Amino acid sequence: MLPNYKTSVKKVDNEEKMSGMAIFTGDIRMDNAHFAIPVRSTVSYGKLLKINVPSLPKGYYFISAKDIVKENVCNIIASDWPVFPDKEVHYKGETIGLIVGPDKKICIDLASMTHADYKELEPVFEMKNSYVHKEFKKGNPEVFKKASKVYSESFETGYQEQVYLEPQGMLIWMDGNKITIKASMQCPFYIKKAVTRTLGCSEDKVRVIQPAVGGAFGGKEHYPSLMAAQLATAIVKIKKPIKMIFDRKEDITFTTKRHPSKTDISAYLDDKNNILGVKIHVGIDGGAYIGCSMVVLARALIAATNAYTFENVDISGDAYCTNKVPSAAFRGFGSPQSIFAIEMFINHLADFLHVNHYELRNKYLVKTGDITSTNGVFRDPIILDKLINRAMEMSDYQRKKKEYSKPNSYRGIGMSYFLHGCGFTGSGESTIINAQLRIKKDKNDIVTFYTSQVDFGQGNRTTLKRIVVDTLGIPEDHVIYGAPDTDETLSTGPTAASRTIIIVGGLAAKAARHLKEIWKDGEEQEIIEPYVGPSYIKWDDDTMQGDAYPGYAWGVNVIEISVDPITYEVTIEGCWSTYDVGHAIDERILIGQADGGLAQAIGWAYLEKEEMENGVFKQRTLSDYVIPTMMDLSKMETEFIDNPFPYGAFGAKGAGELTFAGGAPAFCAALEQAINRKVNKIPATPEFIMELIEHGN
Amino acid sequence: MIKQLVPANLKEALEMLSKHNCYIMSGGTDLMVQKHVSTGLLPSFDKDVIYVMNLKELDYVKKDDNGNIRIGAATRFTDIERSPLVPEIYKIVIKEIASNNIRNMATMAGNIANASPAGDSLVPLVLNDASVILSSVNGNREVLVRDFVLGVRKIDRKQNEMITEIVLKPQELNYFYRKVGARKAESITKVSLMGGYKIENGIIKDLRIAFGSVSIKVVRSLENENKYIGQKVKELNIDSVIEDYSPLVTPITDQRSNKEYRHKVAMNLLRKFLEEVKGGRNE
Amino acid sequence: MEIKFILNGKQVSVDVSPSMRLLDVIRDKFHLTGTKEGCGEGECGACTVLVNNEPYNSCLTPVINIVNKEVITIEGFRETKAYRIIADAFAEMGGSQCGFCTPGMILATYAVLKKNPHPTEEEIRFALSGNLCRCTGYQSIVFAVLKASEKGIEL
Repeated sequence: MLPNYKTSVKKVDNEEKMSGMAIFTGDIRMDNAHFAIPVRSTVSYGKLLKINVPSLPKGYYFISAKDIVKENVCNIIASDWPVFPDKEVHYKGETIGLIVGPDKKICIDLASMTHADYKELEPVFEMKNSYVHKEFKKGNPEVFKKASKVYSESFETGYQEQVYLEPQGMLIWMDGNKITIKASMQCPFYIKKAVTRTLGCSEDKVRVIQPAVGGAFGGKEHYPSLMAAQLATAIVKIKKPIKMIFDRKEDITFTTKRHPSKTDISAYLDDKNNILGVKIHVGIDGGAYIGCSMVVLARALIAATNAYTFENVDISGDAYCTNKVPSAAFRGFGSPQSIFAIEMFINHLADFLHVNHYELRNKYLVKTGDITSTNGVFRDPIILDKLINRAMEMSDYQRKKKEYSKPNSYRGIGMSYFLHGCGFTGSGESTIINAQLRIKKDKNDIVTFYTSQVDFGQGNRTTLKRIVVDTLGIPEDHVIYGAPDTDETLSTGPTAASRTIIIVGGLAAKAARHLKEIWKDGEEQEIIEPYVGPSYIKWDDDTMQGDAYPGYAWGVNVIEISVDPITYEVTIEGCWSTYDVGHAIDERILIGQADGGLAQAIGWAYLEKEEMENGVFKQRTLSDYVIPTMMDLSKMETEFIDNPFPYGAFGAKGAGELTFAGGAPAFCAALEQAINRKVNKIPATPEFIMELIEHGN
Repeated sequence: MIKQLVPANLKEALEMLSKHNCYIMSGGTDLMVQKHVSTGLLPSFDKDVIYVMNLKELDYVKKDDNGNIRIGAATRFTDIERSPLVPEIYKIVIKEIASNNIRNMATMAGNIANASPAGDSLVPLVLNDASVILSSVNGNREVLVRDFVLGVRKIDRKQNEMITEIVLKPQELNYFYRKVGARKAESITKVSLMGGYKIENGIIKDLRIAFGSVSIKVVRSLENENKYIGQKVKELNIDSVIEDYSPLVTPITDQRSNKEYRHKVAMNLLRKFLEEVKGGRNE
Repeated sequence: MEIKFILNGKQVSVDVSPSMRLLDVIRDKFHLTGTKEGCGEGECGACTVLVNNEPYNSCLTPVINIVNKEVITIEGFRETKAYRIIADAFAEMGGSQCGFCTPGMILATYAVLKKNPHPTEEEIRFALSGNLCRCTGYQSIVFAVLKASEKGIEL
């Protein structure tokens, strides 16, 4: 039976995308555009002594740190990543300069002839030098001393590459004296800020326009800022349009990845095997520059207790500096790493205590009104029990769990519970982002509104427009809503953190309501609506105390697999999911998020292996870094259970990242049953599964 | 100056080859990857290139008077797979090579000449004693595929020669085939095994074993096979066969897998095959 | 050299090296940008075009190989009834998200249905396994192909 999406409307970008008419960055025709080819560091860590540039033909340039106009900083969140390194390089592949010129082949040849002299320093590849430390406590961890038993384990997760189908690319040109950028991106205002900061120019000198974007998943949140700062430096010097489109290999090898992690968890038990509390340490590998790692770490730590309430909690974590490609945003932003750890841990703890997984998990399940690990409150109704029951029903979980527990069944079923805090951490929405949304109406009563939200596939262009159309109660073709252009829109913040619908959607609905209140037919009207967060949200970033998020979305995944005992290959036999994303505005779009997020998470769990060797990735192409094909995934069944959220548009919460959180632990729980071994590390490749079967834990 | 040679027919192609040291481009699915530079730029060749995919006289599948199946070098995998003349075992292998798109473009001759240790079509060709016809202005010669591939990307082709034909010799065997890649489609083989056997009255009349991706070329040992032929199938000792092959299977660790896994899975597959020989579809 | 072929129903001629990738010919010489480059090594299928009605990865096709053949890109295909049926099915099932794989996916879908008008889910997954999508998890695309095959038809 094919689905029938009664709640959905036609996606506004369907036709342009299916017909090939959508113009992505690489499709923009600009015949006089120059090419920029990066010259990359060949050492992992070293003093940059001298860059030897071959003699350049007329019209060719080498752009490097010496060309920095104002500040050699790429504005990410931390300010430690230089536009071009000037004194030291910190990872293999770091862009030490750009060869820019009209002929691509000549640029490539010149770049390959450009070499730097380094004084090599001892690189660090292991997680040992912390550059960000965070910690917080709940209750009284002193009671841990009274524990009669302590159960401890460690968990590891690997790198993951986003593999947006469209590689990173950017086009920059001068429009009069204004630098104009079109790029494959998530956050137009991040790019704008990166350019104004390095050039020291005023905001009106930079314009960023979004073309069609072929997927992002976090990978285009920060890296385009670096490309923009570099190309802006170049264009100031050469005053010619420049194009920099990465080949896939370059993209995989040198752009940011999901943070690898190592999580240590200890549960402190009393003599009746009640959990007195847990102590968790999450370490993430940030790579050569902090970038956004402190925020990733914060999210990882806040998610560390996941959907469970423990009375006493001691949580700490470190982001480690290593001489590797910096890690940055990727769907989930640190939380999938720690959710994987706690989900596996609680099952292992149940085994240790000889109790049923399901019972132990449910005993500590979060309930409405519980205190969060940061001493905030889970205020909104939590319907996790409904999600769990429905997922079990859909998947026939109990029967299968029992059936596959027979020895050598090589089949297993696993379940995970998870949450995702929507929006920026803490009071970030009100204190850092300060979104403002502009909506206007012309004399013909045609309404136009603007956001800086990029639709890179999630469908937000459709849903945000629909929120305004439905709020105003006017025909769809009376509302105009296009892709962001920083000359037209105010910043409504980055397209990140599952904030688009819950925050910007809420803001759009509010703006539309206000417009409706003052509506006068045939008159030009304009409203600038500022974001005002719920007043109860109080957060202290230094102590990590308070309400971490304005709202939480919840989910349950069940995954069934089989393992071939001869080849250790895994087959996904079925996937069932239930979600509470508040009110599901457009089911078809949400199913897209659900299936896509889960597929990506399953890839992370067992297929996608990205190994580092001497500071470079071993898998650098799509034939070596394998993502799931159609044959690697099974049918997926998903249901949304309605639980309207008072502060989101039409009761909606975030959904984009939530759907990534539970795939790996559900998969690994199934794998553990199939092979009767504990799994503490992903990706669980056939090589690793063989090791587990052969040598045990 | 690198020359791009586009022959109008086979005769012209062979003449060109007699004068130029060339890469031979057929479907392009390997060579175009290996020589790729960057989007919008031509591939970079360090010697002349001759394009043979348009040679109509090399696009065929036919049966000769001896019952052998002859496949022209410019015949695509898709057409080989579609041909009713081609033995089923080759079709099973072809279905798991790369993707639909690639099979529409690539040729088996190209897969042979590329001589990758992970080249999937080499496994059935070696197991079934298939050969290739190499043609030059001086005439033709036939070489068994197992002799034609010398090592990693090394083949027994003289500068003036090209593969013009593949000769499949249909065998009366029961087959076993497993390809193990990183995922279920579009994957480069980590390890594969093809077995073939024929049992008559409880006696092993034929037993062949070929491994892919576990050495510089397909592993097949006629010496081992000859030891088993003539034995009663009941008496075939699986463990000793595995012992015979274990030292021949010498995989490497690379970005796709590791040698321990490849070796272990190769032996598991061998055991599985031998169990089938002993217990399975005999005679 | 002069290369002649049929592009979207029109006889065309272009003077390029025989080694030029069909993808670059289509995008740079004919400015048809609906054909995408996702990997440049034949893995992702975003560059899929139809050559004599069969899907090819244009990123690996030296242009000489399509001489005198009929090449259809999404720009040509979108003028057909079959496109309308497939595109509507993709829209209805949510088979397109970021859109970068979509033109290739739609052409590959056409090729599948042309060969096998009523494929099973398994046959669809097999036939389209050379077209990668990172957004959808594929379920909606499989549904879209089934939907298109339901409408049956003038494919």
